[in-house]
Amino acid sequence: MTFTSFIFLIFFPVVLILFNLIPRKGKVWFLLAASYFFYIILQPIYVLLLVGVTFCTYLFTRAMANTESEKKKQRLLVLGIISIILPLFFFKYFVIINKSVISLLDNLGLHIALPEISFLLPIGISFYTFMAIGYLADVYNEDVEFESNIGSISLFLSFFPIILSGPIERAGNMFPQFKNFHNSSYDGLVAGAKMMLWGYFMKLCVANRLGIYVDDVFSHIQEYNGSTLAFASILYPFQLYADLGGYSLIAIGVARCLGIRVISNFNRPFFATSMSEFWRRWHISLIQWLTDYIYTPLSFTLKSWKIWGIVSALVLTFLISGIWHGAALTFIIWGLIQGVFLSIEAATQKSRSRFEQRKKLKKNPWYLFICSVCVFVIFSFSQIFGKSPSIKDALTVVGKILTEWGTPYLNITELSFGLIALAILLLNDFSEEYFASSFKLFNNKYIVVRYLSYLILVFMIIIMGEFGGEKFIYFQF
Amino acid sequence: MEQTQIIEKLTSIFREVFSDSSIVLNETMTTDDVENWNSLTHMMMILKVEEALNVKFKLKELNKMKKVGDLITIISSKSE
Repeated sequence: MTFTSFIFLIFFPVVLILFNLIPRKGKVWFLLAASYFFYIILQPIYVLLLVGVTFCTYLFTRAMANTESEKKKQRLLVLGIISIILPLFFFKYFVIINKSVISLLDNLGLHIALPEISFLLPIGISFYTFMAIGYLADVYNEDVEFESNIGSISLFLSFFPIILSGPIERAGNMFPQFKNFHNSSYDGLVAGAKMMLWGYFMKLCVANRLGIYVDDVFSHIQEYNGSTLAFASILYPFQLYADLGGYSLIAIGVARCLGIRVISNFNRPFFATSMSEFWRRWHISLIQWLTDYIYTPLSFTLKSWKIWGIVSALVLTFLISGIWHGAALTFIIWGLIQGVFLSIEAATQKSRSRFEQRKKLKKNPWYLFICSVCVFVIFSFSQIFGKSPSIKDALTVVGKILTEWGTPYLNITELSFGLIALAILLLNDFSEEYFASSFKLFNNKYIVVRYLSYLILVFMIIIMGEFGGEKFIYFQF
Repeated sequence: MEQTQIIEKLTSIFREVFSDSSIVLNETMTTDDVENWNSLTHMMMILKVEEALNVKFKLKELNKMKKVGDLITIISSKSE
């Protein structure tokens, strides 16, 4: 069951109604049961992993809370992180390590028959693992208190709106809300429904439609010329934004209907005027997690190297992020590109600021527009490595873009709906970015405008939506 | 070190690191209030503060700094 499956359209209203009928004390346990049901329908066996990670998290945080010794707490933190991360590491990297060992033995002339094993990656394992590690670190840092109710910890790690692809939540935000459940409010239901509606539009009309073209081009790299590959490379960041951004909005909207406020994941990323600003607007919950639990400890450890310590920590953080996305050279290069560009920005920040102040560029719309375009081009370029099946393919794409220009392949019947929907999405982002207080549709003071906007959006989803794919891009991570 | 002295020194560090000579510090100020204050410049600022005020922060303390007031409190506790 995913958000775009038919069964979810039955599951969610039933859960919402029962949630409001059940007494306050039972709401945590009811949502826990609903969340496990949601996960079991998808991957029944892997639910055992979720249970295992939950128990490890509970046991290690409890042990840390009952310990006074700082050294013992530190050991418990390290042991806890290792036991929580092991399943993720095993499922994500065992196959590639196994293949590498087989090929290495073959190259050395040792023909030892090792079994070639392949697994299906448990959906959501990265997200609940990150949340568990974050909670463990927060208890260690005394940012949050140990939660003695195992039901709350279980619900935190399995909460059905966010388990499959985030947003990666924090214990400090969720536990207080789990302690204070109320019935859904009218405002919460309306706000949640609006987010869900816009999320479905992003996923079904933009991401799925553009995905048909982008996936086709990137699966037949040799057959298309540079112009087509350049166009697909420009469209892919939009597809990714609409896919994960759409998923996140549906997740946040579902949670909001249940009275839970989940952190936001995207903030109009394509209006960022620098790479560092872009990463504060794109996949916010992941970047915040990486900043708090990887970049900050790393840069703190390397601080004696001054600016080089910060730069090294930055590059290493994005390298780790790249390796998390996939155990392939393409993702390592993707991570390196982000790290290098952010480091250049950090190193030149002062001189750029002085230049902008001297030339009075900070509010110049043309300068800001050029900066946004540069950020987009850098990000799109890095995503060629994120999207291509292999490093050889990625280099072919780059090579063809630079040399093989010609008439691009444009399947207008396939693309038109996707491009119209993308234009609507970007126009909406543009109006929210620059005219948030003056141009409102969903939040218009006139009821007629509001309802007309909902109706048009529902109509567009029905007409323009591509309902074929139930999967979201980030399920694979 | 007195709080006014700390704020004075922090103000000049903030203005230098975040390249904004108009910054006027107050205890409730957060990263949202200063244009160039992000995770990268934050660590640069921490380095400068350690050098200028001759203090050493712990990682745990770093995690607790959510606003300028927290930074001032931690520095005050170290210079008592």
